[in-house]
Amino acid sequence: MSSIPASAFLALALILFCIGLYGALTKKNTVIVLISIELMLNAVNINLVTFSKYGVAPSITGQIFALFAISVAAAEAAVGLAILIALYRNKKTVNIDEVDTMKN
Amino acid sequence: MEFVHEGCQAPCSIKGIVIMMENAWLIPLFPLLSFLILLLFGKRLKEASAYVGILFTLASLVYSILVLFERFSEPTYGTNFEWLTIGDLHLTAGFEVNQLNALMLVIVSLVSFLVHTYSKGYMQGDERFPVFYAYLGLFTFAMLGLVISPNLLQTYIFWELVGVGSFLLIGFYFYKEEARAAAKKAFIMTRIGDVGLFIGMILLFWQTKSFEYKEIFAAVDAGEISTSMITLTAILIFIGAVGKSGQFPLHTWLPDAMEGPTPVSALIHAATMVAAGVYLVASLFPLFAASKTALLTIAVIGAFTAIFAASIGLVQTDIKRVLAYSTVSQLGYMMLALGSAGYVAGVFHLMTHAFFKALLFLAAGSVIHAVHTQNIEEMGGLWKKLKLTGPLFLIGTLAISGVPLFSGFFSKDEILAAAWEGGHPILFLLALIAAFMTAFYMFRLFFMVFTGEARGSQKHVHESPANMTYPMILLGVLAIIAGYVNTPWFGTFLGDWLVDGNEALAQHGHIEGPVWIMIAATVVSLAGIYLAYLMYYKRSLARNWLSGTGDTLHTIVLNKYYVDEFYQLTVLAATTAISYFLRFIDVFLVEGLVKGVVGIVQGLGRAGSKLQSGQVQTYGAVAFIGLALLVVIFAFTGGYLR
Amino acid sequence: MIFTGEFLAFMGLALVAIIGGVLLLNLNKVIHMVVALIFTFVAIAGIYVLLSAEFVAAVQILIYSGAITIIMLFGIMLTKHDDESEAKSGKWRKLFLFLGILGFAFAVYIGIYNFNVEQVPTKLHENNTLQIGEALYSKYIIPFELTSVLLLVALVGSIILAKNDKKKEADKE
Repeated sequence: MSSIPASAFLALALILFCIGLYGALTKKNTVIVLISIELMLNAVNINLVTFSKYGVAPSITGQIFALFAISVAAAEAAVGLAILIALYRNKKTVNIDEVDTMKN
Repeated sequence: MEFVHEGCQAPCSIKGIVIMMENAWLIPLFPLLSFLILLLFGKRLKEASAYVGILFTLASLVYSILVLFERFSEPTYGTNFEWLTIGDLHLTAGFEVNQLNALMLVIVSLVSFLVHTYSKGYMQGDERFPVFYAYLGLFTFAMLGLVISPNLLQTYIFWELVGVGSFLLIGFYFYKEEARAAAKKAFIMTRIGDVGLFIGMILLFWQTKSFEYKEIFAAVDAGEISTSMITLTAILIFIGAVGKSGQFPLHTWLPDAMEGPTPVSALIHAATMVAAGVYLVASLFPLFAASKTALLTIAVIGAFTAIFAASIGLVQTDIKRVLAYSTVSQLGYMMLALGSAGYVAGVFHLMTHAFFKALLFLAAGSVIHAVHTQNIEEMGGLWKKLKLTGPLFLIGTLAISGVPLFSGFFSKDEILAAAWEGGHPILFLLALIAAFMTAFYMFRLFFMVFTGEARGSQKHVHESPANMTYPMILLGVLAIIAGYVNTPWFGTFLGDWLVDGNEALAQHGHIEGPVWIMIAATVVSLAGIYLAYLMYYKRSLARNWLSGTGDTLHTIVLNKYYVDEFYQLTVLAATTAISYFLRFIDVFLVEGLVKGVVGIVQGLGRAGSKLQSGQVQTYGAVAFIGLALLVVIFAFTGGYLR
Repeated sequence: MIFTGEFLAFMGLALVAIIGGVLLLNLNKVIHMVVALIFTFVAIAGIYVLLSAEFVAAVQILIYSGAITIIMLFGIMLTKHDDESEAKSGKWRKLFLFLGILGFAFAVYIGIYNFNVEQVPTKLHENNTLQIGEALYSKYIIPFELTSVLLLVALVGSIILAKNDKKKEADKE
């Protein structure tokens, strides 16, 4: 039994998600963009764990899913950073504005 | 395809053997074939393309003669098939061989064949020799097609095709500024007439629900069309004929058209195309005959043109222009004949004129070929040098002047009789004066070219090659004898045959005028010849004994009554003004609209391409804003909250 | 609402997490941003504890506050990061994005602000790690194994990506 309502956790997750989203879409430094994406994933994880405790049929599954998400996020961070390094070698910049090879 | 045999009445279906006429549609196809072959292989055939053209027109000629002979013994044959069916309207296409058509087929294919032969010598060495023959083929095809058309729509199509052929041939020397201008002028001025024809045609169709000549005539006979409507349509159609036949006031293109090669002038602007207007009036004669006003209009315009053009012809110095004005004048004669209800007279003159005018043009071409100038002031004394061309030219001159025993005499006499009997004494007088002028200027031409001292630089004057002289000889023979098919002395065979079996035309058959008309005509033409003889051969009369007294008059006539200048000042100025106005609209309104549309599209494109910046974040932002909008709309229009 | 210890803990942790996020957006130096984010990650781990998920909380601290943050720091170190010239690209876009996110957040918040299901007593906090282990090795064994494959692929992929360019550079020279 908890005295905190589920909506409090969900609201927290929402706020964090929005912060992450804003950062991902406005920051210039690619590293920060990647970190912002991690923040968004974290917000999602809060939701998963919240629903593993609250709800009509609480179960451990939510936590398992959060674990999976964390491991996938770790893999994503590793690959993202590798791409970043490769990019930096070629372009000598990590400024995401200057990366517009998709244009051509 | 459903074949509807119309013209074939009981007798022919019993006899059943009209093979030639059944296949008369082949006649125009021969020149078309020639045109297509030369179009495709002309460059490879080079000079040999002449043989292709000659062979195919010869085929047409032979076939036409066979059809003509068959037509003597058989009634009119015609066939139609459904071309288009729009609701209740049935448009047909087909062909018909009646007396007039059969005669015209022979005239056209004969002149065309002779011109094809003649051109082989005349156009020798021209760079675009095959193209010339291809154009000739196209023109001949169109003219023959025009002749056998059984309905107005088909006629109109070939009518325009003829115009195209004429345009191409006049502008054949397109590198010459004058030729280009003349071609454009000819095309545009005849188009003005064509508009009249087109409106008249549509009006007739509106009234009778048919383009068929037969049904139109039937409707006219049955009185289904009001008299005023008949007059209106007849005059509108006549305007088309005015354009094509170079009648006043649309005559100015014809003399300018002499910029084309001379054989072309002979073929198109003497014998065939300009006769198309006369032919149109003749083939629609029952329609015209139903309206006194229309007939009178035709007669008046014809007579006026005859004397008007003849007077201009008096002072021109270009050999081809003199002939051109004489053509205009003679066409006026034909119109006068038709307008005076002298159907036979008009057609008869059309036939004889085709022969002697083609002869004159070919002879003139031969002269030009020999001396390389068209100015008669620079010629002279050619009689001895051109042993063959000279006499042939004389034959043509005698024929056109209406000297007795030559073909022109009989046809002119017929016209004068028609004018007299038609009850137009004034027009008769005009025609008589025009005849006098014709005789005068033709012999002025003859004397200046062939007699007297050699003027100008004539160095290598030589007779033309055989393939140029033979056609002239044949035409010379025809210019003499063609008149005897319809004479008051030996029977009016042509006249009787032309109106045979056609009640509408029967009352406009051969007209037996008083004998004094014939004498008067002879006297006038001889007087004209004598005057020319005095002035230009004997030189006992000063050349300016007449013009000296009235210099102004001479200048006016020399400048063709300033008709061209008048058009320049009125019609052209107005057209130019309208054009400027329209250009203004085009530039500022139409182009503005177009530019607006272009601008919008370009702007959209620019915006679109700006979106494609390659910036991942921008893409993400746009995608997310879209998602956010969807979520907000979803939330507020009652989605998951309810 | 009762001010229990649990509630106070939640409020504190949430505040730390949000402040960390805001700092991430507003700090100037990249290193500072990453450090600010560590606070957020740790605070989130605390939230997991409040939600009876001790094992996930431990993993969160290990992976996020530890591994990922360190990787990111390496990324920053390996690249040029001193110039942090912001606001070069349009302010309009930022404004639009801000409004869009605000609208999105508002719309979602309307959906969740009074979301309250009946709470059922759970036993998640008892032997939490044991429960997870049992579930992971029985019910979720195949996804679990697949995750290992994914990690392996990510490992190999990152090495190739980071290494490949040396050859190219050698080729260039």
